[in-house]
Amino acid sequence: MTRPPEDRDLRDTALDTGQEPDALERRLARIWRTPPGLVNALSTVDHKIIGRRYIVTAFVFLALGGVLAMLMRLQLAQPESRFLSPDLYNQVFTIHGANMMFLFAVPVMEAMAIYFVPLLVGTRNIAFPRLGAFSYWVYLFGGSMLWIAFILQMGPDVGWFAYVPLAGPQYSSGKRADIWAQMITFTEISALAVAIEIVVTVLKQRAPGMSLDRIPLVVWAWLVMAFMIIMAMPAVVTASSMLILDRLVGTHFFNPAEGGDVLLWQHLFWFFGHPEVYIIFLPAVGMISTMLPAFVRRPIFGYLPLVMALLTMGLLSFGLWVHHMFTTGLPRLGESFFTASSMAIAVPAGVQIFCWLATIWLGRPAFRVPFLFILAFFFTFVLGGMTGVMVASVPLDTQVHDTYFVVAHFHYVLVGGAVFPLLGAIYYWFPKITGRMMSERIGRWVAGLLFLGFNFTFFPMHILGLQGMTRRIYAYPAEMGWGGMNLFVSLCSVAMAAGFLLFFIDIFRSARHGEPAGDNPWEASTLEWATSSPPPPYNFVRIPVVTSASPLWDEKGSLPVVSGLAVNRRELLITGMGNATPEVRETSPQNSIWPFFAAIATSVMLVASIFTPWAVVWGAIPLTITLIGWFWPRGTPEDDS
Amino acid sequence: MMASRFALLAFLALLAGCKREEREARLAPPIAEAQGAVLVMPNGISGRPHDVIAAQGDAFRNNAYQLSQGKRLFEWFNCQGCHADGGGASGPALMNGWWRYGPDPVSIFLSIRDGRPNGMPPYRDKLTTEQIWQLTGYLQTLGASTASLASTSRNDAMHSRPAENRAPAQAGHTTRPSP
Ligand code: HEC
Repeated sequence: MTRPPEDRDLRDTALDTGQEPDALERRLARIWRTPPGLVNALSTVDHKIIGRRYIVTAFVFLALGGVLAMLMRLQLAQPESRFLSPDLYNQVFTIHGANMMFLFAVPVMEAMAIYFVPLLVGTRNIAFPRLGAFSYWVYLFGGSMLWIAFILQMGPDVGWFAYVPLAGPQYSSGKRADIWAQMITFTEISALAVAIEIVVTVLKQRAPGMSLDRIPLVVWAWLVMAFMIIMAMPAVVTASSMLILDRLVGTHFFNPAEGGDVLLWQHLFWFFGHPEVYIIFLPAVGMISTMLPAFVRRPIFGYLPLVMALLTMGLLSFGLWVHHMFTTGLPRLGESFFTASSMAIAVPAGVQIFCWLATIWLGRPAFRVPFLFILAFFFTFVLGGMTGVMVASVPLDTQVHDTYFVVAHFHYVLVGGAVFPLLGAIYYWFPKITGRMMSERIGRWVAGLLFLGFNFTFFPMHILGLQGMTRRIYAYPAEMGWGGMNLFVSLCSVAMAAGFLLFFIDIFRSARHGEPAGDNPWEASTLEWATSSPPPPYNFVRIPVVTSASPLWDEKGSLPVVSGLAVNRRELLITGMGNATPEVRETSPQNSIWPFFAAIATSVMLVASIFTPWAVVWGAIPLTITLIGWFWPRGTPEDDS
Repeated sequence: MMASRFALLAFLALLAGCKREEREARLAPPIAEAQGAVLVMPNGISGRPHDVIAAQGDAFRNNAYQLSQGKRLFEWFNCQGCHADGGGASGPALMNGWWRYGPDPVSIFLSIRDGRPNGMPPYRDKLTTEQIWQLTGYLQTLGASTASLASTSRNDAMHSRPAENRAPAQAGHTTRPSP
């Protein structure tokens, strides 16, 4: 090394001479920034850029899935409709479901985490940022594969949970079910990658002083979600790989004729599938717990019970999966056990609701748009929870299984429980991401249209279900007498679509012409509001020190900060798991194009393996090359503590 | 230039892929009718299918779903009752590449639809034209001498006859079966 040692380890304290007031900012910006240009855009590892892409992509998938939903409503608006062919209808409902669950709901929650976890815990970048870049590309390619397949009429048509034997080799000819299984593989890879980043960031990169009881609730929720992803996803990885193997090379995992077991599929899928609902739901309630204080002007009531509720729900959700299988002829004892556990999860959910009600009760609510979404959540989610307790009981479930009652129920919990809080969160954090406010006036319309549109669309479906209308039918005869209600549902769905349209319009408008927001437009208490909007590439000029659970409220004047981090390379602070005491200074990876190449190699391998098993063998070669490029040592000495 | 040519090729390949997975559960009546309008030689052997078959990309040969439907009908209508599985019983084997009435699709179609004098019953009143074409397509893959990209679904249970999507049938059967 020819450079003098102090040049290699230039600290921010060295710049405190006061000669150049913004020397520190300029240096940090130079080190952390993503230079312009296509290659640089593809190589960036900035969690904010990746997070933003992730969020935008997820919302594009939401819009596409919404279009499919409207197509289905158009088809069902009248009896014996010929608008969609049965085959197309099968593809449409399958892709609507798979898209919403795997390409929108789970990824968007991860996406929000990628953007906000580092800001909320006060660090400069997410842990393993290259993994995040890789995850995004894999997600994008996997999602595109599904939609391209759909355009080519190769869309999966076996339902979003692809039960065997329908999805098996005998009953699903062609490549449709393989597309489904591989799409799952794509999302698994990307979700697992993000989950690992979140766990490490939350546990090891919190700002000093942010002990476990000062972590913002939404970060707790993301942490639980990440652990759930790590524990639940392997089940579906196994399942989808076994399905692919059954179809491609003739293994017989799910083939009863050769000693396989079709129910095994349902167990594996729902062992993942049920926690998945909570993977979506927990971050959403976390968002509520974090947003609520800003709108009632007081800290959240019952921090500890809320954290406990998150953990309990995370844990319990792994013990419920069999309630999706009540009609498969299980032994009584099994049914009773899973009924009990399904009902038990209503307890922590109830605890949460009461904590929020107490928070609102004790505060002075300001009815801004995010708060309206929180209220919409309350109403809708409680209704969904009630029908949830209903379908948790075996006799009722046997009656309404696979009817529109179930369709209504899960839309109440998913849209009410996750989408409403998420939209509230978008209104809440949009100013942080773009530096501009979304329109309060349009926002009220959006909230109103969505709330009313949603309830009028989905509530009647309960009744349709009780009247016997089964899900996944592409047409029904006029004599069934479901026509009137279906027409009403379809008309109301237009209101919902209008609400979403307005939302997207508002996003586009506000991103350009919204009112400038300032650093902390809601006068909220968490760390992300301590930096500028949008945050600089390095997030914080100096890493803050946290002294309470509501740092920005309790440290009115200015936050205490850490000094002594290097300013000539990307460096962040690693802290202890429990009390967040500073441990070491650690380098954060540079931008790199290799994650992008690795994602391309992975995608080519996965797509080709739909057609031939040899793709796995030959595809491993380019993949290995890209991974070698990715992990090539940088040649700089390791850092010291 | 290269790139655009490549893109065009990729696009064409994709379009071909498109037909490969197309499924129509309810044929429009005029199409169904046209499928039955085959031009036949006076001796009832060979002829020309209606143009609509080609217009549909020869779906009964190239579309996995259509082939699978044919396979299902083959079992449902107990064709192996007389044709057995590869061996041939009262009827010919159908999968050795040897056809009494010629290998072209129209002959096979006619054999099924109108029956044949030495004991093949007509299925005109039992199957729709589309189903007869599906059977025809399926039978052609049974005795195919070249591998095809589209294949039927695979049985869960053990196959009692050689699998359809194996390497070309000729490999096993090269001699004419004794009558
Ligand atoms: C009652 C017994 C019987 C059944 C059932 C039967 N076939 Fe046949 N099939 C025959 C006989 C016998 C012949 C030979 C006719 C001849 O040589 O004139 C034949 C001939 C054929 C041929 C012409 C073969 C050639 O070499 O050109 C085809 C094609 C055919 N059958 C298809 C079918 C299909 C498809 C089914 C099921 C839908 C079926 N058959 C059911 C008895 C049967």
